[in-house]
Amino acid sequence: MADTVVEVAEQPALVLRGYDGTPLVDLDTYRSVGGYAQLERARAMSPQEVTQQIIDSNLRGRGGAFFPTGRKASFIPTPDKVSKPIYITVNADESEPGTFKDREIMLKVPHRLLEGCLIAAHAIQSKHVFIYIRGEYTEEYEVLSKALAEARKAKLLGNVKVTIHRGAGAYICGEETALLESLEGKRGQPRSKPPFPAIQGLYASPTLINNVESITNMPIVLEVGPQEYAQIGAPPDSTGTRLFCLSGNVARPGVYEAPHGITTRHLIYDIGGGIPNGRELKAVMIGGSSFPVMTPNELDTKLDANSLGQHGLFIGSGVVCAIDDRTCIVQFALRVAQFYMHESCGKCTPCRVGTRWLVQILRAVEDGTASENDLEVLLDVCDRIIGKCLCVLGDSAAMPVASCVTKFRDEFRAHLAHGGCPFGADSSLANLFAPTDQHAHTTVPQELSVERV
Amino acid sequence: MSASELVRVTIDGKEVHIAKGTGLVESALHAGIEIPVFCYEPRLGAPIGACRMCLVEIEGMPKLQAACTLTAQDGMVVKTARTSAQAAEGQNATLEFILVNHPLDCPVCDKGGECPLQDLTFRYGPGKTRMNFEKTTFEKPIPISPTISLDRERCILCYRCTRFSESVSEDGQLVAKNRGAMSVISTFEDEPYTGAFTGNVTELCPVGALLPTQYRFEARPWEIQSVPTVCGMCAVGCNTWVDLREGKAKRVRSRNHFEIDEGWLCDKGRFAFTHLRAPDRIVDPIQRVRRRGFEPVSWDAAIDAAEEMLRAARERVVVALSGSETVEQAYALAKLVRVGLDSHEAVLPEEVSGALDAYRAPLSSIGDAQVIGVLGDVPLEESAPIVDLWVRKARRNGARIVDSEDNLKGADVLIWSGPGGRGGVRVAQLAEQLGVSAAFYVPATPNGRGIADAWSAASDAEPGDEHSIGVLIVSGDEAAGNPNVRGLAERAEHVIVSSMFHGLAAGWADLVLPGTSYLERDGTYVNLEGRLQRLRRTATPPCPDELEWISRLAARFDIELAPYPSSVFAEVSKRCYGGLSFGEVGERAALRTYDAAPAHVDPPALPEPKTAEGGLHLVCYKPLFSGPAVERVTELQFQRPRAEVELSAVDAERHGVKTGDEVTLTGGGASVTLRAQVNRKLRAGVARVPDEFAGDVRGAVELSKAEVTA
Repeated sequence: MADTVVEVAEQPALVLRGYDGTPLVDLDTYRSVGGYAQLERARAMSPQEVTQQIIDSNLRGRGGAFFPTGRKASFIPTPDKVSKPIYITVNADESEPGTFKDREIMLKVPHRLLEGCLIAAHAIQSKHVFIYIRGEYTEEYEVLSKALAEARKAKLLGNVKVTIHRGAGAYICGEETALLESLEGKRGQPRSKPPFPAIQGLYASPTLINNVESITNMPIVLEVGPQEYAQIGAPPDSTGTRLFCLSGNVARPGVYEAPHGITTRHLIYDIGGGIPNGRELKAVMIGGSSFPVMTPNELDTKLDANSLGQHGLFIGSGVVCAIDDRTCIVQFALRVAQFYMHESCGKCTPCRVGTRWLVQILRAVEDGTASENDLEVLLDVCDRIIGKCLCVLGDSAAMPVASCVTKFRDEFRAHLAHGGCPFGADSSLANLFAPTDQHAHTTVPQELSVERV
Repeated sequence: MSASELVRVTIDGKEVHIAKGTGLVESALHAGIEIPVFCYEPRLGAPIGACRMCLVEIEGMPKLQAACTLTAQDGMVVKTARTSAQAAEGQNATLEFILVNHPLDCPVCDKGGECPLQDLTFRYGPGKTRMNFEKTTFEKPIPISPTISLDRERCILCYRCTRFSESVSEDGQLVAKNRGAMSVISTFEDEPYTGAFTGNVTELCPVGALLPTQYRFEARPWEIQSVPTVCGMCAVGCNTWVDLREGKAKRVRSRNHFEIDEGWLCDKGRFAFTHLRAPDRIVDPIQRVRRRGFEPVSWDAAIDAAEEMLRAARERVVVALSGSETVEQAYALAKLVRVGLDSHEAVLPEEVSGALDAYRAPLSSIGDAQVIGVLGDVPLEESAPIVDLWVRKARRNGARIVDSEDNLKGADVLIWSGPGGRGGVRVAQLAEQLGVSAAFYVPATPNGRGIADAWSAASDAEPGDEHSIGVLIVSGDEAAGNPNVRGLAERAEHVIVSSMFHGLAAGWADLVLPGTSYLERDGTYVNLEGRLQRLRRTATPPCPDELEWISRLAARFDIELAPYPSSVFAEVSKRCYGGLSFGEVGERAALRTYDAAPAHVDPPALPEPKTAEGGLHLVCYKPLFSGPAVERVTELQFQRPRAEVELSAVDAERHGVKTGDEVTLTGGGASVTLRAQVNRKLRAGVARVPDEFAGDVRGAVELSKAEVTA
């Protein structure tokens, strides 16, 4: 992955500001582009002022939920109101399929993330920041740790403690409350909300949880000024830029920073160089695998929350994954459903049971053994998952599957009519089931057998 | 509660005014509306919202909400499945999902007929399945311990059991393993599920996943008669249901008394009942026949023989009590020998004092305490397990637990468990000094207080001077197993023993009369709170009960003694319990105070037994899983105590002993070799050994590392 394209596709450069192909990993380089100047400025301000600037910028969460970052910070009680410590947890457990931007932030501008953490710590008067980093991110962990050591040595941390914690490979731990459970050393399962983390988060203390990209934007907000920041992108709601994760069947996949509001077509065809090998675009996985898919006739939709929302689509974590016409959409839906079945934590009923059922029905469709009625059941199961689970993982499985069925119903029907996959072995996804197919098996080998004493 | 704390909540159009913060499930119940639940169980701590059975529509909230996770807020408008199509659809969906992989083997499931999943499916669920693929299957049933089997196919993953293990018994042994559809309940590291409270998960389980092995294929719920009684295995007196089929006890369940047990029951109380059917149970009287050993005799012959012995002994009869007799049995015996034979000497199993009566409080008060002094050297989990659960609950709520007498300042509850408590005198003295409101003493026997009441109620006469023993009446198995009683027996001309099991009295009794269990008796017990509780006969005993033969024997001495517990109780009650009638004791007995109770004589304060600096004092105790009943229950053998001596970290270090080392304890002219177990919670100067492994070692002991023999 060392050769991932990371570039500023459209000005202004915010998160990647100062990056021109050479990672800003050491302190001096980062300082040479103005690094840590905003931390100094922030510390000269009152915490409330800093929070207000973030609120004014209308910076919103880049992890997927798009919640206003400043407002979230304002929910944290001030230290005089609580007897417990106040924590910041940075969600660096980047695991949404198609998302690979946070790792590039940690590799290319690690100090900007740390500066953001320290600014946020000042804003909510927290003394302890935890960075929960995806376990598979080895290099990212090392680069970030090195940057942290450097910052610590340069006495930039002040009285703030920063702890980097490595996850153990569960997608669900990217869900904020499951992340907290995992950080506490427990089984990674989401908590029921309320109470919200702002009141009872890590170790039952007030906790601010932000995505890497969101928190890395904080120094930028101060640098360009909140009012100016609020004009960038697609105001009023989708301000600033995005690190779009362009992947799939495109000529130049990579992480591209561009303001909110560019069109999907522009990103895929102009920035990404279009669909290679003369193929046609069939669908776009947009926002992440957790959301409904986009069809080619929606390509001119602007990449901002409101424009996408008008089509029932989501900006998510900035994923734009092009799917060309070699791909069997049933296989795509099956592959997505398998992922969520594998990653469902097992806590709540609809997700635990429903994701497996989805896989079973989709497998039958793909094999041509399903009936028209099964398609209705499939949609109904999706419907019975959406909005009824403890966290959004269930929705994340059901929404893309349902969108595939409704938007590509003819292709599903073709499977039924054909008695199997019309693509045969030619689908581009045909070989991508191996690691997960085992999970569709119905009988699990049992290792437990407690001997009678 | 002041009116300002009340909030108005509208549920299905019904307005309820309820304390702010009350759970929505309870608020709905208040309005007479059911919100069905599986995972919700307030006794297990904060709700987790996992099963999604309680989905409701809340005005102003876009999605359906899990009612169990919400509390009543002013102006809240709730629509349950009764009035909201969306909520009804949600609940129906939840049940459809739950049933997708459920084996639906209700006809052979022990839970069938008393299964919340069956009931809720009947009321809210889909009538047919749309699932036409293979269900998940698992190996089953898996014995997670000899007492509990786990069926993972029936499991709906409500996490009640793991939450019990994590947040109530705090043993952390039950866990969820794997993820998603492959999630299963398991014991940690696949070790057997051990501990004092494991059986509670079989009652918490809302389906047939965790079931008691003893009950497997034993009965259907509609064949069962459930008898409300009280456990007689320790002094807590947990309220229980005993489920009978054709007169035989098949299962014991908790019968929630919220002041005593909060619906929990220990494994001894739950699983030890099969001792009723022990193969060595005595069912007929047996009499020593010279040279030929013992021989069964008829009841008439047995009564004749007893009468003969007692007539010859007159005034020289001594009664050794077990502490497990009902108040009525103890009174009947007392009346027979005290009034009929003018013999007033009894060997009580332990010291009993009324000193604690001023500090009487329900056990539940422990749960609300801030600072709790837990004193004495026997762990509560061994002596009175449910009390330990209350202490743990208090600790979870933020209470501080103090285990040293030097550190009791600020304590609001004191508990004494172990020797040296002198029937509660010691803890009462401390309670007075500290001004605490509630204090408890854990007696070593289930009804020590009740039998002392009964004995003193029968007569005011004092025992005479030292004399020879004409007849020693040994009442019950605990007394029969007591070495001091055996000592007395050697001095007695004749010994009459009432015992449930062969072997206990063999060799030293002249007449053995079959005994009964607390599960076979009607009568009353007084628990460690001082609460008088009602036992009911559950199983039919294989022999006449004690009251019956005592009454027949009493008639020979012209003593009027009805063989009916209610009449006997009336006599005791007049003296001890303020004239309360048998019927008024109640199914969930109240904690009463009795003005007219005879004052127990408080023995003078004795100095604590001092151990020389660096020396060790032996503390013998009855572990939870010990005693004649437990010894006869196959399924409980894995829980039996090990031949170990527990040492404090300080003493272990001083003697260079590590856990696992063989050590020899010498004291009182005897010695015993045991495996050492270092216990950091134990106070220095104490060597703790289960009674059954202490042999004749007593008092101050010397410890040496045992020679390792090749």
